Amino acid sequence: MTNLSVRETTLPRRRVLRAAVAAVAVVCTAVACSPVSNSDGGNPSGGDQSAGQDAFGTPADPASVKQGGNLVIALSAEPDALDPTLSRSLYSRYVFQAMCEKLYDVNEQAQVVPQLATALPTTSDDGRTVTIPLRPGVRFADGTAFDSAAVKATLQRHLTNARSARKSELGPIDGVDTPDAQTVVLRLKQPFAPLLGALADRAGMIMSAQALQARGDDFASAPVCVGPFKFAKRVPQNSIEVVRDPNYYDASKVHLDGISWRILTDASIRAANLRSGDAQVADSVSTQDVASLRQDAAVSVLQSQSLGYQGLTINVGNVDGVGTTPKPINRPLAQNAKVRQAFEHAIDRKALVDAVFNGEHAVACSPISPASTFSSPEAQTCPAHDPAKAKQLLAEAGVQTPYEVTMLASNTPDTLRLAQALQSMVKDGGFDLKINPVEYSSLLDEQDRGNFELLQLGWSGRIDPDANITNFVGTGGSQNVAGYRNPQLDTLLTQARQAGDVEQRRKLYGQAVTLLQQDDALIYLYRQRNLTAVSKQVQGLQVYPDGVIRAAFAGFGK
Amino acid sequence: MARYLLTRAWQSAVTLLLSTIVVFVGVRALPGDPALALAGEDRSPEALEAIRRHYGLDQPLPVQFAQYVERMAQGDFGVSIRTGTPVSSMLTTALPVTVELSVLAILIASALGVGAGVLAAVRRGRPAEWLANGLALIGLSVPHFWLGLLAILYLSVATGLFPASGFVPILEDPVDNLHHIVLPAVILGTGLAAIIMRQTRSAMLDSLSSDYVRTAKAKGLRPRAVITRHALRNSLIVVVTVVGLQLGGLISGAVVTEQIFGLPGFGKMTIDAVFQRDYPVIQAVVLLTAAAYIVINLFVDLLYSVIDPRIRVTGDPA
Repeated sequence: MTNLSVRETTLPRRRVLRAAVAAVAVVCTAVACSPVSNSDGGNPSGGDQSAGQDAFGTPADPASVKQGGNLVIALSAEPDALDPTLSRSLYSRYVFQAMCEKLYDVNEQAQVVPQLATALPTTSDDGRTVTIPLRPGVRFADGTAFDSAAVKATLQRHLTNARSARKSELGPIDGVDTPDAQTVVLRLKQPFAPLLGALADRAGMIMSAQALQARGDDFASAPVCVGPFKFAKRVPQNSIEVVRDPNYYDASKVHLDGISWRILTDASIRAANLRSGDAQVADSVSTQDVASLRQDAAVSVLQSQSLGYQGLTINVGNVDGVGTTPKPINRPLAQNAKVRQAFEHAIDRKALVDAVFNGEHAVACSPISPASTFSSPEAQTCPAHDPAKAKQLLAEAGVQTPYEVTMLASNTPDTLRLAQALQSMVKDGGFDLKINPVEYSSLLDEQDRGNFELLQLGWSGRIDPDANITNFVGTGGSQNVAGYRNPQLDTLLTQARQAGDVEQRRKLYGQAVTLLQQDDALIYLYRQRNLTAVSKQVQGLQVYPDGVIRAAFAGFGK
Repeated sequence: MARYLLTRAWQSAVTLLLSTIVVFVGVRALPGDPALALAGEDRSPEALEAIRRHYGLDQPLPVQFAQYVERMAQGDFGVSIRTGTPVSSMLTTALPVTVELSVLAILIASALGVGAGVLAAVRRGRPAEWLANGLALIGLSVPHFWLGLLAILYLSVATGLFPASGFVPILEDPVDNLHHIVLPAVILGTGLAAIIMRQTRSAMLDSLSSDYVRTAKAKGLRPRAVITRHALRNSLIVVVTVVGLQLGGLISGAVVTEQIFGLPGFGKMTIDAVFQRDYPVIQAVVLLTAAAYIVINLFVDLLYSVIDPRIRVTGDPA
């Protein structure tokens, strides 16, 4: 019933979309056949940019920023527990950025740089000992000293807490040593290159040992870390407030008195709050609203291409649920890679992004962002949009056309528009796509149970490619919901995890992408651009490729 | 009276127990797993298992229900799966916001609705009645969310008269509190005001053509006294019934209004909890809403006897 209603209501829109798709297809054939480049990153700094270009914002000029004031950020979703060990939501990272510094951070070029560490870690020749030098003279918000003992207490909590979301990120850590107060040594069971990326995220956020001891599992009620701001108040499902921390080691860089995150889930309400002055920053601006915000003289729009992706997962072996042994599924789409390749050839990603997202997002054909240090020409190769080839592949696979495929998708307006555009687009390639929209929580449930044929979902992305690939396509990966298994790919991914050399990892990930595109259990579609609207009263607010809003050193203009 | 109250208390307890069962089963009948909703992007079978164990979701349903009833009986609503905050403290923060919003909406709706209803009845067939009827039609037809968006656009963004979102507790700053909540209360009250207006007008028309009003007029009472002391007082019983019946609509309206204006109330808490499959929060809010219905219905029944002394409550079944 639901399928029918979606198809019925989309008929007029479908004609419009088909015309738009056809028009754009003529122009972009060459682009669709070419590698995805990072040239659309454009000028990455500065203020306003047009659609499809990155604009990360610039640091505040101390001479033109006044001291004081409270910054209000309208946030599109509520952060979960403010506990670096337990946190699993992207939005918690926005709040943590202001109050929980990490051993390492990410810069504008998506490179890892020291934050609470003084230098990048040194790794022993066998790759199993990682030494991290710590910043001296640093204090937590509760006044206690930041030292190697605090780092050890935090890492041990990450590794041993039953509900820890960090355990798998930290990999094969065997032990943590503290030869002196300013040095931490991590002993690994085997080399693990993604560790650095993990320490530049929540796993690297160090918590006050005193607060951990006092609050235990209730740490999230009053988190204590090292940061420009410290936790003040949380009204569940409504707001979070932090105030300036006088203990912060680099206090002269902090201009604001406090930051409030106000949860406003509707994009148009966030935009209205920005325009009325009730908020000065709004995250996740809708691609429908962004053009009018760009024309607003009082607002600038920051744009950063995500390190993650949005894609289509095909169920090739998830019969008994994620994490179980893959079993054969008696469907041509699941059994025959040619049918999946045909589906990929039927998709014109550029036309899709232009028609559905006004060209704000970027085409993606692999899990590796062009902005990543580990990107390569192989990793950015893109199968061409070729409906004729799609039909030919379907014929070779012995499949009768139109071949009916049912896609499970979230029922949000953006996803439904994407699904409807896809439905119209793949028809020319010989597919009859049915859409089954479900609410997000149900979608996750169905996905993990394996109750789907084709599914649309994405991943917000991490700095290290391993965190964007292995869990999703590696055999037995915790998020390998496709039930995909390829021993050759597993070998490549394991080698890439253990390789110490960037160039070697880059090459291995290139080879992995080639294998992924042959098997097509996960068809990558596009990379979201994080769109953040900022009042021009505010200076120094930045958004880097990790998508996190960096408000800690912002201030109001004089 | 005492017997009546006892009977009603007994009936209420049974209703509440049935609501508990319905809420518990209903929440779990929803597709979706709270552990998955909480795990977000970073989920592994071990993490999901740990979450389920921590919140007792790995126990058989009868055991979960027994634990739930036992905790509820002690006034313990559990801990939010999403934020780890005790549900009772979330309720303590959210409930006053929704109560204030609803009370203010009822007051505004009653003042507008009764005033316009009386005017429409007294000035029957004149422009005042057409205007009142037209406004009531708009109030009934326009959805809250659209009206809310328009209000934000014109009264917050364009003119800056009211804040577009946020809330200040009444004890912190009563004036600022009112400044933040008046606009949402007006928006929430519009639908109710329209209903009250229609009912008041119709009841007033009946009263105005009744014998006792004719008698009052014949006694030489001034028109104002006839309307307020005789016709309106008898019409108010209908208004009170309508307000009681419309409370459900007001609560569902509060869900939308709080979401639009970013008010940290009960409605916003409910909708967020449902999307996140936060069982303890959903159970608590639905149960409290059921309890509120029961209490308000009782209150409305008792109010009848105050407004119309001829009505006397008894313990006999109706």
